[in-house]
Amino acid sequence: MTNREIFRKLSELRSLGVPACLATVTGTSGSTPRETGAKMVVCADGATYGTVGGGCGENKVRSAALRCLLTTKKPELVKVDLTDDLGTGGGAVCGGEMLVFVEPVGKPGK
Amino acid sequence: MKKIKDADQRPDILSRAAGLLAAGETFCLATVIASGRPDAPPGLKAIVRSGGEPEELSLPPGLAPGLRDLALAAINEKESRTVEAEPGLSVFLDVISAEAGLLICGAGHIALPLARFALETGFNVTVLDDRPDFASAARFPGCAVIAESFIPALRAMPLGPSSYAVVITRGHEHDAECLAEILPRETAYTGLIGSRRRVAFVLAMLGEKGIPRKRLDEVFTPIGIPIGSESPGEIALSIAAELVCVRRLGARAARALRAAREVTND
Repeated sequence: MTNREIFRKLSELRSLGVPACLATVTGTSGSTPRETGAKMVVCADGATYGTVGGGCGENKVRSAALRCLLTTKKPELVKVDLTDDLGTGGGAVCGGEMLVFVEPVGKPGK
Repeated sequence: MKKIKDADQRPDILSRAAGLLAAGETFCLATVIASGRPDAPPGLKAIVRSGGEPEELSLPPGLAPGLRDLALAAINEKESRTVEAEPGLSVFLDVISAEAGLLICGAGHIALPLARFALETGFNVTVLDDRPDFASAARFPGCAVIAESFIPALRAMPLGPSSYAVVITRGHEHDAECLAEILPRETAYTGLIGSRRRVAFVLAMLGEKGIPRKRLDEVFTPIGIPIGSESPGEIALSIAAELVCVRRLGARAARALRAAREVTND
């Protein structure tokens, strides 16, 4: 999804009153599946729009977003480590590292 | 009370960002991502426009001027990045770039998949054809659709150094008409469909009309990255790939891909 589509989705969710989190890649080092600025929207029911790279790394971000939406209500900076060794069963083998900022952006709780 | 206010201002800034992007503006969306300052908590956002003042004055005094300079530098360098606005205070400067405009002249079989691919890859798409049945909003969801004669429509159209134009009309006379309006202006990319015979004829016609040789040489034709496309979908894919290549890597890189194919052509 492009920034345009992400922003459109956020305003659509807001108008529906659906709480959501915005996850944004704020920094990378080494080889990563997405670039700085890539975004994903996560809703409280687990639905996601856009991608921060897929796979285990994205799942870690999604979990952080759900934690934020359902319990902490606070932004979180998530470190996604993609330096698993090749051939050892780990899926995150791109070789780099991403920092992803996860923040609630939906309608306030009340 | 304050908490709710903080949570409330974020969506508003994001709506504002959406509006600026839709209006074709490049700007910086700044977000505090790590902080020990109670007056600048993580999630606090500001919009910095290339013109000057922060759009949203939610930044604590003392922080705004320095951050604005850093944001303007990021905009100038077209690079999103995280900066240390002051010790212990990290701010992500997201440079939200205006989408490149793609004009598709000709709303036929190739235009349909091309419009879809171009939307998907972040172009702001306009489709132009003089046949209302073809240039209809229903056929091109998400695009601006203009059903008018090519020449007056193109004369009224803002084209510039960040514009991409793909000329794929139903006939070489219309192709020539469109190019005669497009080529006198600077574009990031102009591509023309057709067999070598057809495009040679069109370019020769335009040369006779006084379009400079240099501009004619810059036309990407035959259009698209050479991947052996045959069907409309395949051709649209090769055109979309060329547009992305020019946007990400520049026209030289896109020409190098063509040259590489010519070397191995057999």
